Amino acid sequence: MTIDYTEFTLQEIMAVAAAREIKDGEKVIIGTGLPLLGAFLAQKTHAPNMVAIYESGAIDCKPSVTPFSVADSVLVPGSAMQGGLMEGLGIVHAGELDLGFLGGAQIDKYGNLNTHVIGDYWKPKVRFAGSGGSNDIGAGCKRTIVMMLHQKQRFPEKVDFVTTPGYFGGGKEREKYGFYGDGPSVVISTLGILRFDPETKEMYLASFHTGVTVAQIKENTGWDLKVSSDIHETQRPTPELIRILREECDPTGVFLKKQ
Amino acid sequence: MNKCKIMTAQEVVSRFISDGMTVGIGGFFHSPSYAITHEIIRQKKAHLTICQPSFNEHADQMIGAGCVDRIISSYVWMEVFGPLYCFRRAMEKGIPHKIEMEDYTNFAVMARYLAGSLGVPYIPIHSMKGSDMMNYRAWHGEKKAILMRDPFGSGHEHVLVPALNPDVGYFHCQRADEEGNSQMWGIWGDMPWSMRACKQVVVSCEEIITREQIGRDPNRTIVPGYKVVGVVHAPFGAHPKHCQGYYDVDRDFIFKYIRESASEDGWKKYMDEWVYGVADRDEYAKKYVDTFGMKKFRGLKAKDMMCTSVNYGF
Repeated sequence: MTIDYTEFTLQEIMAVAAAREIKDGEKVIIGTGLPLLGAFLAQKTHAPNMVAIYESGAIDCKPSVTPFSVADSVLVPGSAMQGGLMEGLGIVHAGELDLGFLGGAQIDKYGNLNTHVIGDYWKPKVRFAGSGGSNDIGAGCKRTIVMMLHQKQRFPEKVDFVTTPGYFGGGKEREKYGFYGDGPSVVISTLGILRFDPETKEMYLASFHTGVTVAQIKENTGWDLKVSSDIHETQRPTPELIRILREECDPTGVFLKKQ
Repeated sequence: MNKCKIMTAQEVVSRFISDGMTVGIGGFFHSPSYAITHEIIRQKKAHLTICQPSFNEHADQMIGAGCVDRIISSYVWMEVFGPLYCFRRAMEKGIPHKIEMEDYTNFAVMARYLAGSLGVPYIPIHSMKGSDMMNYRAWHGEKKAILMRDPFGSGHEHVLVPALNPDVGYFHCQRADEEGNSQMWGIWGDMPWSMRACKQVVVSCEEIITREQIGRDPNRTIVPGYKVVGVVHAPFGAHPKHCQGYYDVDRDFIFKYIRESASEDGWKKYMDEWVYGVADRDEYAKKYVDTFGMKKFRGLKAKDMMCTSVNYGF
């Protein structure tokens, strides 16, 4: 029986979209989950010379099985270099990396991210993990890709706490800080792909995923989201990409929910 | 001169870790010392300030047990596994008592350790600039981080973070000798900088080897024996986390902890069973085998993937 790879899930659209953002030869710091699958997919297709780095200090890793965590033991054998946080994040801090992945509890109109609290910092309604390496990656990597669950409360006009600055209040505000990193280049959400206006740095909708409407995305965004004049459906994954994603990147279904 | 520092976990904790101390805890998901953490909880140590770039369930268990007043870190969570509920209960509702966290980034804590390990009072970093971590300060107040213009003329401002020198540090590694010369491979986490910054260090390890064996591969030593005051032989001492070359992470057990700790009662039951109900690591390992079977226990054992040896000759 031949397996059909023409159907795909939103999760798979996101992983493929992440892969498409990676250029061959780039040095990329990877998180777990979809960023990891996106990076693996890129490496197995158009970006074989990508250098995969984890904050745990694994540099140019080529794990034989899908790692579950950024500090998984499977990352170590086969890596070109293994150190610790000083090695993994030191090169991020030095501005040597092209790309990093971020996520969070909230993202706002100008790409500022919150992974600390919902509500007041001193009396939080919900307390989250904190920055971890997020702020370091946002400051140091030349550009970042943010992957988000697209819900109204996660896309407020202003975040409750700025863990990882995006473009602050927009325009040229980020430039005065002198970061090595230029800020987020794209937000890949569960509903669509959003980018930032080159002048105002305001987030706008670039494409909607298969089966999702623009109205639905606007309803799930906490400000009046601008829509690109070139709005279109997110490029659909080819069956071949879906096959590689399922059979080679995550054959045991560590992250991709089994159909 | 024989400098044997081997002792039990009970002994090192009662001798070297006192109430109110600032404690540096080593590891980054890989190889944290549960052997020593659980002993700290059993001995009901209190008012500790615990430091680590990123914390997992070991911090959660100490927080729930009431050992911790303050946290210096960037992260308390269990990654894709899920939230840590004792941390959340303490931060959100003050259960079992209110705790404070001085929020940094992962690298900023490393930078504080690096400054501490070099004996300089502070270090400039790029991270944290412009974030709310600069605006919200716990007990460190103004001394949490200071913005300063580069005196060498780049025109940019940098964040100065102060050196961190904990009273005592502890970590788990693959092997150490009786003097405390400690060798670790795989993911170093915050090592060696964290432990070098601590005033004194306690180590737990999978195996005790000889000083002669240490000397055959000295590049693998991450903490020299002179810093170390106590060595604990604790096989399976990092479980449910992994220890490269010895055993893999026990995902089922981590999910079990997160599931059961979601309620206070569930957490207490877990702790009674797996921490308070066992005297030491040997009893813990025995209980693990009795509960889950030898097959599961053996299933965690690492495969052999030996490296080639190198020539240290001259």
